[in-house]
Amino acid sequence: MLRLLLQELRFRRGAIIGWGLGLCFFPVVYVGLYPSFAEQMESFNEIMDLAIYQAMGINMAGFEGYVASTVTNLIPVILAVYAVINGTGTLAGEEDNGRLELIISLPIPRWQIVAVKAVALGVALVLILAITSAGAALTLVAIGGQVETNVTAVDLFLGLMSSWPLVMAFGMISLFLGTGSPSRRIAGMIATVVVVVSYLGSNLTGMITSLESIEWLFLFHFFDATAEALENGQQLGNVLVLLAVALVAFGLAVFFFQIRDVTVGAWPWQRGRMPEAAGE
Amino acid sequence: MTGYAIETHGLSVYYGRHRGILDVDLRVEQGEVFGFLGPNGAGKTTTQRVLMDIIRPTAGEARVFGRDCQKDGVAIRDQVGYLPGELAFYDSMKARRFFRMYASLQKGNRDPGYWQTLSDRLELDTSRKIGQLSRGNKQKLGVVTAFMSKPDLLILDEPTTGLDPLVQQTVMELVREANQAGATVFFSSHILPEVQAVCDRVGIIRDGQLVATEGVEDLMTQHFKRVRLCFATTPPDDAFTQEGVTVLARDGQGITLEIRQDLDKVMAAAAALGITDIETIPVSLEEIFLAYYGKGNGGGNA
Repeated sequence: MLRLLLQELRFRRGAIIGWGLGLCFFPVVYVGLYPSFAEQMESFNEIMDLAIYQAMGINMAGFEGYVASTVTNLIPVILAVYAVINGTGTLAGEEDNGRLELIISLPIPRWQIVAVKAVALGVALVLILAITSAGAALTLVAIGGQVETNVTAVDLFLGLMSSWPLVMAFGMISLFLGTGSPSRRIAGMIATVVVVVSYLGSNLTGMITSLESIEWLFLFHFFDATAEALENGQQLGNVLVLLAVALVAFGLAVFFFQIRDVTVGAWPWQRGRMPEAAGE
Repeated sequence: MTGYAIETHGLSVYYGRHRGILDVDLRVEQGEVFGFLGPNGAGKTTTQRVLMDIIRPTAGEARVFGRDCQKDGVAIRDQVGYLPGELAFYDSMKARRFFRMYASLQKGNRDPGYWQTLSDRLELDTSRKIGQLSRGNKQKLGVVTAFMSKPDLLILDEPTTGLDPLVQQTVMELVREANQAGATVFFSSHILPEVQAVCDRVGIIRDGQLVATEGVEDLMTQHFKRVRLCFATTPPDDAFTQEGVTVLARDGQGITLEIRQDLDKVMAAAAALGITDIETIPVSLEEIFLAYYGKGNGGGNA
């Protein structure tokens, strides 16, 4: 199984480097350019008191708020896109392009195949985040003397890494959707809607008090992208919720892949029925 | 544990409400080469995918070496080499890396380096990336993948598709050699001469239903016969107007008949006319196959 896992990681090698460096560019630019407009950011204090910005966790007054509002807030959203692409591509995509037939004809239980794919996706997300976080942390070290902040390079590194449970949850949801949907395209569409609705829903419920009771429906609610979290870390309860969601989605992926008629491309409820049973 | 390598009872697969196969009762004995014939969409691939537990039956059961294909799928696949009909690989991998990876995942692989021998025989360049290989070379890759573990059972879906005649011959040699080494071979094909050349028995599937399972020789001798009879004088036009007899040709005192009934009546009529010579004309498996599908000479009653 280890060999299959290594092979899966080898397949993702290009994506890990590409996405890691691509995402890395984002915090490097945002953090690196901060000293050049730090003074201007101070004047945003009043505007940032508006409810909409507070609800979205955006407060650009001060370095901590600026980093949280830009880097910490957006990198999980972007990385969730990779989680959707890879999560739906790893089983549903391989089934669509015919490669899965050779893999499942090996003497390996199906649950192990799902497990290997899930672990490979999880490791890929860790590595992409590690490259990105390291880029951000090193940039902060480079500009350290020009910025007044309590946030250390380690805080920044860990703050970005802490989005892993969130993106992993989206990855597992995508994997599960891939095992239950007729095609990767459909699974990808649903998973994308889940990510977008989760992000917007989380922001919306943060702004409208009457909607607070349903904020738990949106996964982004369980990831704190504020400056406070950057310094103090994520709440353990929220992390556990995200990990539980990932675990449940993984369990569902195993279940649906176990019963799946591979190569057929159908919803679970469209499984074949004898004419008698179908009432024909 | 039965003595059959493959055994299905009332095996049916429906795709939604569309029939894949219906009530297929199939038995492939251990150590035989079994050809599975049928046109596109008849149900050959569906049957093979059920045996590999890639899709699940709607009704009935399928067993390989006495084991249930669903419950014991892992143990079964450990003994089986499979060549899918629709091949797809990881294009960015080199062929040899693919073989090494695949061999390492086959618990029952008796000779992890055998892929190299097979690749050499098929003249497959394993140093190239799979995405750079031609369709024929990808087919060779699939053939090597199926044979490389020296399995007890080979399930091959049209193994010679896309290969040139020389390589087709090599693949058929591999089938014979594997069979001589004790392997059972279950393969579907559209190339009937190769089925005729290597198979002990064939099954013919039509519209999802198994319509015949017979030894190749039996099928060819029993299904219908073609004879040329010569007489001392020209036989009358209505001399062989009988149920199950078709006159294919006349030339002077000779007449060529296709006979789908007992020979007795025909021979009795021929004897009464003063027969001087009988010649049996070989019937190819292809003609029998076409007859089963109502496309052969005078076919349609199969």
